[in-house]
Amino acid sequence: MNRVLTLFQRWPFAFALLLALVLLVLNLAISPSFLSPARLPGTLATLAPFVLVGFASTPSLLAGGIDISVGPLATFINCFFVAVLIPAGLGDWQLAAPIVLAVAAGVGALNGILIAVVRLHPVVATTGMLFLLVGLSLTIAQNPVAAPDNWTEVFAGGVGFLPGALITIGAAGLLWFSLRRTAFVSNLLATGESDVSAYGSGVNVMAVRILAYTLGGLFAGIAGIALTAIVQSSQSSLATTYALLGLAAAVLGGTSLAGGRGGLLGALFGAVSIYLLQQLLTASGVAPSLIQFAYGAVLVVGVVLGATLLAPRLKRSAS
Amino acid sequence: MTSETLSPAPAPAVRISRPWARFRAWALEVPLLQVLVVLALAAWLVTAIPAIANPRSVTSILVITSLLALAAMGQTLVVILGGLDLAAPGYILFGAFMAANVAGKLAVPPAVAVLGTVLVCGGIGALIGWICHRFSVQPLVVTLGTGAALTGATLFLADGDYSSAPPQALRSLASLRGTTFGMPFPPIIMIVLLCGVGMWIFLNRTAAGRRFHATGVNFRAARLTRIRTSVVWTLVFAASGALAGIAGIFIAAYGSGWSQTIGEPYLFSGLAAVLVGGTIFGSIRGSYTRTLLGALTLTLLSTIIVSNGLSEAQSRIIFGIIILAVVSLYGRERHVRDRF
Repeated sequence: MNRVLTLFQRWPFAFALLLALVLLVLNLAISPSFLSPARLPGTLATLAPFVLVGFASTPSLLAGGIDISVGPLATFINCFFVAVLIPAGLGDWQLAAPIVLAVAAGVGALNGILIAVVRLHPVVATTGMLFLLVGLSLTIAQNPVAAPDNWTEVFAGGVGFLPGALITIGAAGLLWFSLRRTAFVSNLLATGESDVSAYGSGVNVMAVRILAYTLGGLFAGIAGIALTAIVQSSQSSLATTYALLGLAAAVLGGTSLAGGRGGLLGALFGAVSIYLLQQLLTASGVAPSLIQFAYGAVLVVGVVLGATLLAPRLKRSAS
Repeated sequence: MTSETLSPAPAPAVRISRPWARFRAWALEVPLLQVLVVLALAAWLVTAIPAIANPRSVTSILVITSLLALAAMGQTLVVILGGLDLAAPGYILFGAFMAANVAGKLAVPPAVAVLGTVLVCGGIGALIGWICHRFSVQPLVVTLGTGAALTGATLFLADGDYSSAPPQALRSLASLRGTTFGMPFPPIIMIVLLCGVGMWIFLNRTAAGRRFHATGVNFRAARLTRIRTSVVWTLVFAASGALAGIAGIFIAAYGSGWSQTIGEPYLFSGLAAVLVGGTIFGSIRGSYTRTLLGALTLTLLSTIIVSNGLSEAQSRIIFGIIILAVVSLYGRERHVRDRF
């Protein structure tokens, strides 16, 4: 028992991984065709926005802050692409992809500047940004606008053998794991653990924070593309749902809200767990309202478990 | 947060800038800026649309303000404690459900429905507060999860029935034509005003209120002065739940009905009212009076925005900019260098 606990404490994502595996087995028991090759690209494509919004929440949490505007940013990018770029004739991927990613990273950087330079509380700054983004999305496209045929459909289907969703998730993952080769990620974790100590050790805390939020914005931009791929219309109404889902995925995956502990792998398994839970309950015919109940309950239980059994040490001071 | 009180004033400049420094300290102590903003907005509204200065429109603005202020009351307490209550939409939905489906359709006496709401929402809130304190987890995620669970459970209980309306006894409390002891405004305005006064007395003039503020400003110091922080956390989150539930009853009574998403707008607008009023996480200057002013500011502002032909969406954008601007004025945190 102790050895299992040590394992959980050593690997923050182990709990989410175990949960995801259990849920996968249950899913396969209820609908055996769940992982069949024909359904796999579609399944992965609906999973991709969850995972990417989870990714987007992670860097700011690791830096000891929080970004609740990543979900609305993803839906804003979706509306911006479908209702602004495509009608303006900028829908080709050579033009649209760089514009969309630059806008998303720019919004993230703005968050970072508000938090690191203007020194607002992260919750306040990102709440303000959330209002702005939700308002902008509704201004651009109050009602869903259907998108004509465009390049994002690749990410909902597949390229040859490769499911398209692996490209979006893979791109974000590859970016993160190449950043791990640099000093940025260790500086990020140091800043999250204790910004005062990091500052004292010569870490440029301000730059690290801005970069963390920029990276979150970039991931949210990719999430917006993945979202466009499956809905093929502008969905401004999904903003609040995704705002909460991203945080839930990151936290369930063992990323500490106090900062300095966790990673992208945790967010991946957290998002997969939430997705599989929804799939399981839908497949077994449970009412949608009870699915929401289960999702909330899992989140609370996961957080309490993460804070007690799975934490490396019990902290004696509350935030 | 408390840098003004902690850092000593620079010695040489004292003589020259003393009146200014004293004015600045005073202006930060009382919500002067908020009062000025409310007056300016009211003046703007009256000059832009002179027809609005009739009792009916003023009552309507005040009722909407009261609902927002009531929904933001619990959030104010939680924010002073340094947390955030994202379960508010769940509580409001549950309150609306009790008012419309239980008191309205099942004809349960309104008093019993109100009591039930207070017990359920307060109980859930107490549990959240205790969990957050006991396991030292961030309230943000726990309230998020509980809010989702409570919303799901309420929708399951409602079983797709959103057509019921609260009984007449509840509706008269918030309807625009209601009267309070013969005076021509609905009781909700009086209720919220009394809550404001009561909250001011509680926060500033009782030992419990001071203990609560102390816990918010510095958790460890509060525990070392033998304040039972676990009780404070439990009670504050319980109060937040119960108050949001009651707000839900009034919101359903005002709208004469409810829907699945009745609580959603009040989460972020309520938080905006708290922040615009000038209450910041764990701040000693936080108070409910400020939230009342914040709610009035937001309501006046959205009236102006709507009367200028802008949409609901554009008012959100302006809300966002205002939150950022107001908080940049007084809510900035200290530089890492100064905490080193």
